[in-house]
Amino acid sequence: MAAIMTLQTGTGFWNPIIWIIAFVIAFVFAYLIWMLGEKDPKKTGDLIRPYLSGNPEPAKEAVHVPGGNLYWGFTEALQGYYTRVVPLHSGILTDYLLWFLGVMAFVLVLVGVIV
Amino acid sequence: MTTMFGIDMLAVVGGIVAITVFGIVAGLVFLGIDRKVTAHMQARIGPPIRQPFRDFLKLLCKDSSVPENAIPWIFNGAPLLALASSIVILLYLPIGSFLPVFGSYGDLILVMYLLTIPALAMVGGGFASGSPYATVGSQREMVTMISYEFPLAIAIIAIAWRLSVAGIADPFSIGTIAANPVWGVAGPLGIIGFLILLVVLTWVTPAELSRVPCDTPEAETELAGGLLVEYSGRNLALFSLASGVKTVAMASLAVALFLPWNVSSFVALSPVVAYGADFAFYLVKLFAVIFFSVSIIRVGMARFRITHVVSVYWGYLAGLGLIGLLFIVLDTALGAGVIA
Repeated sequence: MAAIMTLQTGTGFWNPIIWIIAFVIAFVFAYLIWMLGEKDPKKTGDLIRPYLSGNPEPAKEAVHVPGGNLYWGFTEALQGYYTRVVPLHSGILTDYLLWFLGVMAFVLVLVGVIV
Repeated sequence: MTTMFGIDMLAVVGGIVAITVFGIVAGLVFLGIDRKVTAHMQARIGPPIRQPFRDFLKLLCKDSSVPENAIPWIFNGAPLLALASSIVILLYLPIGSFLPVFGSYGDLILVMYLLTIPALAMVGGGFASGSPYATVGSQREMVTMISYEFPLAIAIIAIAWRLSVAGIADPFSIGTIAANPVWGVAGPLGIIGFLILLVVLTWVTPAELSRVPCDTPEAETELAGGLLVEYSGRNLALFSLASGVKTVAMASLAVALFLPWNVSSFVALSPVVAYGADFAFYLVKLFAVIFFSVSIIRVGMARFRITHVVSVYWGYLAGLGLIGLLFIVLDTALGAGVIA
């Protein structure tokens, strides 16, 4: 039964049911260890304010990391690539279709469908 | 009555209990050894090897605060998820000459993705903390994850591809890889290629484990602990356990990929002695991997900036990995007579 539920991709394989069973059992163990510890004593005041090295907490908007900056380190390190690619996003539909056709033609030549 | 989905649940639970105990104990011992060895390399005495056990027990006795800005169920759930997912990774990896508990239910690609779950749990916990430090730390952890995935994937694909070309069935199966050391199927050029990939994996390990020089998500001197800044008590204790278990899992993966030999393959031993000798040898290999990929690197280097992490892993290490792959392809082509 378990063998039937194993997903085969031709070269790879995995069984999600087995993974879920294993995860649930491991989670129960983790929970039991967690329960051994001291519980949250429901503190108030400074004890539950975010730690900011003694500085007052700024407004949420001032310290929020927006979605556009989520991968900042990545886009900053690969700036040479992004400065070339971002301007290509003109917002004009026909431009995107042209890119799609061009890349598709390149891929077809690359894999040998068009010679 | 203990069978479910055709699986002997008693054997499964027994296997998970054994692996859980081994992963936690070995993880904390190796963290202690790493700290001791590192201290000696820096001309310090360092804490005793049992210090991580003391730290863990101390954390269990401490209050576990939940910040007022936090989302409590994600904040408290993240350490549980990190530890549970770290334990599950070990179930797919061989321990000495013991075959993986679930080796026939998941392959190397699955392990590669399971390795991301503990890191994702930390990211979730950091974002749920409601702290600016933790938010920046989580953002950095996500960027670090993207960075090391590429060179790691190159190493894994190269090994599986070479085994596949050699006509070995199930090349992505970890049992297959452990039973067919890559050094035996490759020629001289291929061995150079695999040595290069071993170097790449050695550098991926500290990034996977958020250790120096890739500890930018935590960065104590800069972000005061980053994504863990708000964690305390039992939640922090579970994250430290998860870190230890993931260290064992990552080192076990390196052993399975590049150092899969067992003592019993070379010396005739009785079955019981063979299991013991192979297990002891496996622990020695774990220590060697942790020493070279964690201890030495963290003693010799300072922390990378997050942009350096990306350029080092996507630039230098991915490039190095591709060169290794090229050597392996050339070796294969020469062996097959494609190139005279």
